[in-house]
Amino acid sequence: MADLAWLTVTELARMIATKAVSPVEVVRAHLARIEARNRDLRAYLTVCGDAALEAARAAEAALAAGAPVGPLHGVPIALKDLFNTAGVRTTGGSKILADSVPKDDATVVRRLREAGAIVLGKLNMVEFAFGPEGFNAHNGMARNPWDASVERMPGGSSSGSGVAVAAGLAPAALGSDTGGSIRIPASLCGITGLKPTYGRVSRAGVLPLSWSMDHAGPMARSAADCAVLLGAMAGYDAADPTTSVLPVPPYTAALTGDVKGLRIGLLRGFFLESAAPEVRAAVEQAAKTLTQAGAVVDEVSLEHVGLVSAASLAIVASEALAYHAQWLRTRPADYDPDIAERLKLGAFVTGVDYVRGQQVRALVRADVDGALARRDVLLAPTTPIVAARRDEREVTLGTGASDIRSALIRLTRPFNLSGHPACALPCGFTTAGLPISMQIVGRPFDEATVLRAADAYQRLTDWHTRRPVLA
Amino acid sequence: MLPAMTTTSALDLDTLRRVSRLAGFDWSDAELERLRPAVEASRRMLDALASAPIADVEPTTLYRVI
Repeated sequence: MADLAWLTVTELARMIATKAVSPVEVVRAHLARIEARNRDLRAYLTVCGDAALEAARAAEAALAAGAPVGPLHGVPIALKDLFNTAGVRTTGGSKILADSVPKDDATVVRRLREAGAIVLGKLNMVEFAFGPEGFNAHNGMARNPWDASVERMPGGSSSGSGVAVAAGLAPAALGSDTGGSIRIPASLCGITGLKPTYGRVSRAGVLPLSWSMDHAGPMARSAADCAVLLGAMAGYDAADPTTSVLPVPPYTAALTGDVKGLRIGLLRGFFLESAAPEVRAAVEQAAKTLTQAGAVVDEVSLEHVGLVSAASLAIVASEALAYHAQWLRTRPADYDPDIAERLKLGAFVTGVDYVRGQQVRALVRADVDGALARRDVLLAPTTPIVAARRDEREVTLGTGASDIRSALIRLTRPFNLSGHPACALPCGFTTAGLPISMQIVGRPFDEATVLRAADAYQRLTDWHTRRPVLA
Repeated sequence: MLPAMTTTSALDLDTLRRVSRLAGFDWSDAELERLRPAVEASRRMLDALASAPIADVEPTTLYRVI
């Protein structure tokens, strides 16, 4: 039998449903791998071994009894440690919430459990999700598995999610994305991650960073797996007033493998021209691959995208400080000083700045809508660089020198501001063996087309099937 | 009256102190000095919003798309 720790969600669900494998075996295989690897990788903060095995035995019994089962029956997943889990601590990667134990599951966690998923544990992350590199002063940085010789950034803030999925410690994980926090670790760790449309997935029971920019979504080893997970997670939730009442389509049914006639806009200018040469070449090659499969690719740019960083700063700094103000007053020493400094900047953003940021948001949203008016999806690099060494602070982009933090969020943040769905997926590797990623962006609530394009590309290529060689 | 928080001139400590107190924080002078470069960089970035073509653009205050 294939190594259970490397099977996809889709494969595991099918094998469990047909009794080709027991959910107990599957969970045991993952717990054994976590036991063997997590000390080095630091992907998990909390492992729910006993509860996971108990749930697996119950799943096995349900199958034996012929009970109806959900699409994720017996499939293990892991959660970024900002999704509330009933009875299991949810720390946000912080010291402040180190002993916080929620009474209830976040809505998405409850829905995934109802679909049959089994929670293996809670994953490392940047403190309170405020940073794209993957650092965590309290728990240590989750280690990017793609370079055994040197510590490289896993990307953040969903760092443990990226590492766990890439290293075979979970077939899938949940992440959250305020400026790229699903897509950046997906990019640097060589996996697939979907930031859905704002309002498609409930944020109820998810620790906020910036309410109007936060998105929850799946991270897995394929677009097909993200489709399965999204189908279980998405939909209106009375506990989150920003969720849409639009019905949830059958995402897996959209995965036809066919991109003939699909209109793709390749985002140049701000996006492609800033990317490192190997990243740019890989994304251009991906566009050619899709063209050869029948897609129609043209080039497009977004007029106001240069204003995204200022607008995002105004919005995120204000909203984040509003959430953290009380703790910053009463427990300042419990924050990583670097995180505290970023939070403090919100005090120097005015109300006028915030409103102007929201005005720019309308402009950028209109830009993206305009680009998608006669196209089905847009294509761009996910990050302009690949995983940097832990100690690197600056990088040279096509547009000049940049600090690593700004570079990592440069290309993902526009779609947090606009709210459009975006899927990051591997599209190559550098000569040094590090993953390169592209993102496919779609119309609001058209995750089906985004996933169809991503899945079709993954049927044509094998980048997403490669595995890191662990030390 | 607070001095204008623009980046045409460096922000002095007194301005940082008064703005942070207005926001409800009593940060020490040493903390504010450490923050000053980041605040100045942020203000430079935020100033770009003033010249954005947004005069007739209504802010996005309702996030629920549909």
